[in-house]
Amino acid sequence: MTALTAPAAPAGIWRREALTEVKRSLRLPQFLLPTALTPAAFYALFTLALPHPQAPGYAAATLAGYGVFAATGPALFGFGAGVAVEREQGLIELKRVSPMPAGAYVMAKLAAAMTTTAFALALIYALAIVAGARLSAGTWAMMAMLHLASCIPFALLGFGMGMRMTAKGAVAVANALFLGFSVLGGLWIPSAMLPGWMQTLGAFTPSFHLAQIARAVLALPVTGAVGVHAVTVVAMTAAAGGWAWAGWRRSPA
Amino acid sequence: MMDDLAAVARLSMVTKRLGGRVVLDGLDLAIRAGEVTALLGPNGAGKTTSVALLTGRLAPDAGTACLFGLDPRRPAARRRLGVMLQSAGLPDVLTLRELVTVHAGYYPDPRPIEETLALAGLTDLADRRCGQLSGGQARRVQYALAICGRADLLVLDEPTAAMDCGAARALWATVRALADDGAAVLLTSHDLAEADSLADRVLVMDAGRIVADDTPAALRARAGGSVIRCRSTLPPKAAALLPAVREAGMEGADLRLVSADAAATVRALLDADGRLEALRIVDATLEDAIAALLAPTEERIAA
Repeated sequence: MTALTAPAAPAGIWRREALTEVKRSLRLPQFLLPTALTPAAFYALFTLALPHPQAPGYAAATLAGYGVFAATGPALFGFGAGVAVEREQGLIELKRVSPMPAGAYVMAKLAAAMTTTAFALALIYALAIVAGARLSAGTWAMMAMLHLASCIPFALLGFGMGMRMTAKGAVAVANALFLGFSVLGGLWIPSAMLPGWMQTLGAFTPSFHLAQIARAVLALPVTGAVGVHAVTVVAMTAAAGGWAWAGWRRSPA
Repeated sequence: MMDDLAAVARLSMVTKRLGGRVVLDGLDLAIRAGEVTALLGPNGAGKTTSVALLTGRLAPDAGTACLFGLDPRRPAARRRLGVMLQSAGLPDVLTLRELVTVHAGYYPDPRPIEETLALAGLTDLADRRCGQLSGGQARRVQYALAICGRADLLVLDEPTAAMDCGAARALWATVRALADDGAAVLLTSHDLAEADSLADRVLVMDAGRIVADDTPAALRARAGGSVIRCRSTLPPKAAALLPAVREAGMEGADLRLVSADAAATVRALLDADGRLEALRIVDATLEDAIAALLAPTEERIAA
């Protein structure tokens, strides 16, 4: 009955898939450069170039939100639009008939999104240091990990979009979410400075909760309890993951 | 029950609806090791859907799809499956060697990369990026991806579409060699000459069911042996009554008859029309055989 037994999966599929995906994204500077430079440019403009009464502490304080902002672009566009394009080109079909586990594809794209995010974060952190931000090594490390992990909920949301929408539709929706999450989540202007109705809407975005957790890491004032923000982010991530998985299962191509 | 033991993949009593239309209707289909099986039929017969079910992209509404004893949607079942799709794209910025290497890595006992590239005739292009390949070259890359894992079942969907004659012949030779080594091959094709020369077994599909399952030679024989063409004043309705005629119709300006006994038919034909011209007789091809199989259904739909 050897004909009916399946051999075990070879080791290293996930690692090779991730390395290949990162290599692919590095070969697309037209995607990599704008997504990595835009958050740094925004940070420089809003935090450093425009005069602000709270300076110099302001340079460090706004890092919390802009780091989350740096993660939304690569995750929403790399996944949402990227996956939709790959689906239309038949690249996903190629993967789906192969023995590659679905998880390896998601992790590989996540690795690529995090690589792009890491470039963007490095630029923002460097600008902050130049502007006088001084944090302990432990705080830098905690914040960097949180900012990189911020990719995950946006990536899963984008993945669900990519499996359902056309490339054009996904780009449009990713743009709308990118702006909505940034403004309502308080990534550009801290949430507490926004009008009340925007703060109310912001509570429904993962970006708001991630930014609040990042503020806690920086020992800044937080709206509400950090634990509640953490639980909310985890729940939102799980919901996005379920939505993405259902999209992968039901999509015929 | 020889069938059951040798089958590497099967669809049992499968029904599938897509967009409100019944595409597969209680379909039974088994693919056996060491055989090249051609799946033929008109557009919309359900070939693509059958392939999608066997490769795990779709699940049946009723019945079961089975690949090496497992659900094809499980990656474990696909570790012995190699697929060449018609519609699949290639990642533009990867080189061909990088792509084949990462794909081969999905399989437990892959073929050495250089051997895969040589079999697909791609050795000289290995360091080219996929985005720089011609249509025919991209098809060969798809073929390389199908064979790189040394799979026990190869599913080839229109493998030689967009390939030139030389590349197509080279591909046929390697497919034949892989089947002779024990691989099962499932082939869909619009090129009936390709199916005839390559397949050990032909499955003809129509309206979501298998309407014939036989060797190409047996199917040709079933079609009645010979196709007679001539210029004649005799109308097809009258010609249909001649001895041994199975089918009569017009093909352009020609009268076309399918005959079980060409000599008897031609003798009567010459007697019936003294001014007959341009008489030609050829063996029935696989195309004729399949046309004969499908004809009754078309009439039924038209009626």
